[in-house]
Amino acid sequence: MNPGPTHYECVALPLSYSGGGVTGKHNPPLSTPRPGPLPAPLPFPAVADQADFEADAMQYAPQLYTAAMRMARNPTDAEDLVQETFLKAYRAYDSFTEGTNLKAWLYRILTNTYINKYRKDRRRPTESELGDLEDLYLYKRIGSAETADSSRSAEDRVLDGLVESDIKQAVEALPENFRVPVLLADLEGFAYKEIAEILDIPIGTVMSRLHRGRKALQASLAEFARHRGLLPDPDPEDE
Amino acid sequence: MSDHCRDALDRLYAYLDRELDTETVTEISVHLEECPPCGGAFAFEERLMVVIRSGLREEIPPAVVDRLRAAIRSEIL
Repeated sequence: MNPGPTHYECVALPLSYSGGGVTGKHNPPLSTPRPGPLPAPLPFPAVADQADFEADAMQYAPQLYTAAMRMARNPTDAEDLVQETFLKAYRAYDSFTEGTNLKAWLYRILTNTYINKYRKDRRRPTESELGDLEDLYLYKRIGSAETADSSRSAEDRVLDGLVESDIKQAVEALPENFRVPVLLADLEGFAYKEIAEILDIPIGTVMSRLHRGRKALQASLAEFARHRGLLPDPDPEDE
Repeated sequence: MSDHCRDALDRLYAYLDRELDTETVTEISVHLEECPPCGGAFAFEERLMVVIRSGLREEIPPAVVDRLRAAIRSEIL
């Protein structure tokens, strides 16, 4: 491994590299005498062929565009972001290990590109800046809005009453380091381990950002629900 | 709120995200059936996740796909 790779080089690293790695047990110690000449190196791990890139990668364009829209927050920047992602991926494609997770690899490039491109002028809020929100934030607001008997219909009213633009705006309002894990989990259904690899952060950090990000998202959705009259205004001492 | 409730709630997202081993999943599922408040909360959170996921959807415009293909092909040439 080269010391001090740049961000861009990081991007080109394969995710979940697991094929044909040096595990030790397949490689006899150097002192072991080898019978006969060394065997020719195996053509493994198989690297991807640039010629196949379009056929392999284009299927993920719609998903990446959705994520890019919620990251960049407008169609022009989202398109730029997706295009830059695909061009970087194309140029680095011969470093991608076939049989590993192409979708996650593309998301890693997308995420790094987004962060490098759009974060420059934005300071990153720390976790505590999201405030200390309670669990089940939205659910509890509904619970206190109705008596137990009719709570079922109150839940339906909130879940059916929130419109797409509420959800998009609420997600877009999240600070970037919470928004991206939430998008990767809630939109794409990536496993925590995959999110950790895409973002290059420990799994514990993935879990805490997801948790806090989702709570903040719920608080924001509760705001929209109040606006639409789906929830009553909060008690003054409640907030 | 019992310890069981607290344990279940602590694992709410790991449970919904299918990040738990089968044994823990069974443990929580049993609790959710026995405890209506937790069952109700988990069911709501699960539905909310579906609402959020579908609310975030975005159609990629065909023109964007065309320009993307063109960009990749111009790179290849």
